[in-house]
Amino acid sequence: MEPSNDVALDIIVSNVVSVFRTRCHLNLRTIGLEGSNVIYKPEEGKVLMKLRKPRITASIWSSGKIICTGATSEEEAKLGARRLARCLQKIGFKVRFSDFKVVNVLAVCSLPFQIRLIEFTKNNRPIASYEPELHPAASYRIKNLRSTVQVFSTGSITVTGPNVQSVASAVEQIYPLLFECQKTRS
Amino acid sequence: MASTSRGDYIPKVQCPNHPEAILVEDYRAGDMICPECGLVVGDRVIDVGSEWRTFTNEKETKDPSRVGDAQNPLLNGGDLTTMISKGTGAASFDEFGNSKYQNRRTMSSSDRAMLNAFKEITTMADRINLPRNIIDRTNNLFKQVYEQKSLKGRSNDAIASACLYIACRQEGVPRTFKEICAVSRISKKEIGRCFKLILKALETSVDLITTGDFMSRFCSNLGLPKQVQMAATYIARKAVELDLVPGRSPISVAAAAIYMASQASAEKKTQKEIGDIAGVADVTIRQSYRLIYPRAADLFPADFKFDTPVDKLPQL
Repeated sequence: MEPSNDVALDIIVSNVVSVFRTRCHLNLRTIGLEGSNVIYKPEEGKVLMKLRKPRITASIWSSGKIICTGATSEEEAKLGARRLARCLQKIGFKVRFSDFKVVNVLAVCSLPFQIRLIEFTKNNRPIASYEPELHPAASYRIKNLRSTVQVFSTGSITVTGPNVQSVASAVEQIYPLLFECQKTRS
Repeated sequence: MASTSRGDYIPKVQCPNHPEAILVEDYRAGDMICPECGLVVGDRVIDVGSEWRTFTNEKETKDPSRVGDAQNPLLNGGDLTTMISKGTGAASFDEFGNSKYQNRRTMSSSDRAMLNAFKEITTMADRINLPRNIIDRTNNLFKQVYEQKSLKGRSNDAIASACLYIACRQEGVPRTFKEICAVSRISKKEIGRCFKLILKALETSVDLITTGDFMSRFCSNLGLPKQVQMAATYIARKAVELDLVPGRSPISVAAAAIYMASQASAEKKTQKEIGDIAGVADVTIRQSYRLIYPRAADLFPADFKFDTPVDKLPQL
């Protein structure tokens, strides 16, 4: 089996989701009226604020908890979160940037070969699950990394995990399994 | 005629000739018989046999030997309850026409939801004519899931539908999600979610569906002859082996194979008809058909009688 060191796989992180707290109560109505690039959703009790520089969308709750999505790297996520907190501070709230945590990282990767999903599922019985009626990809859950890899028959895979490191390890772990079940021209 | 010896503290029935002998009970005649000498010692022992003779071909609903419903030990844990049924005579109705004794005692309230679900399962299975063994398997699965309580928040109907789907799969006769949807009020999405949750909760897995599982059902619903069905099965299997249809659901591949086989035979079916039976959109059939069309000549079985030759097959 070829070790994965020979092949340079492009793992592109496409989304990083993070949460943080402002440690103070936020008046959503004020933010909705005075903030720029905001959408106030009173039925759901939150405000969506979109930033341009690190392209980020944040859901802001009145309790002060904020979820940031759309960043492309962990550093960018932190930067965007800080910038967001600064925006809220400018509106006038006593914001304290605390408890920043990256919650989810989504990465896509395109393997240079196609994959036989049925064989892959049979080889990895309980961990891999494939329901063609529900979703065209086979999903492989790695318990110790708390990551999920979705494998498509075209060879593209998407990996979700709690941080970038686990995503990289997940790809390393799954590459030999996928290499075995590749579709070779016979 | 022997009698029980009076004057003893413990009235013991024994044969006068053989006091040590253990008496054999003949319950049919109601006797206690001494095995040594055959003397009938005790008589008029209560007969525990059935009061009425029952013949198998008489109406099965009324079995005079039974005093209650047949127990369902696997599923209920023995509910021996008494219910008050609706009255029949005039005396059971008080003034105003309301029936006296309205409240039929609630039976085993803790399992009421489960019994309700069993009824729902039987109704659903009845709509698609599923045999008793699948229903039993579904009931067992539901019971396991219900006792585990890990899916407690989910609607019971959703769990029942998902159990039905799993049971069909496990018995080797899978039904598509859409077919289960058709007999249930739950959406396909919810059934799919419950399905995955149940597999995780019970820590089982199911076999993957193949195109052949659905051939006989779809073809007979369309009224296609056996030859066409066999050809379609062969085409679909070959198509998956040669991997002409990567990433396509087996149902769509099966539908496209049926279309190709029927178009090559005398019984031509339209894509819309096949799509209707299989629960597949006709554009999906078209897509899959386009993938298998180039190799059509290889896919047909060797002994197939062509009504329309391969090159005259419709090209969509």
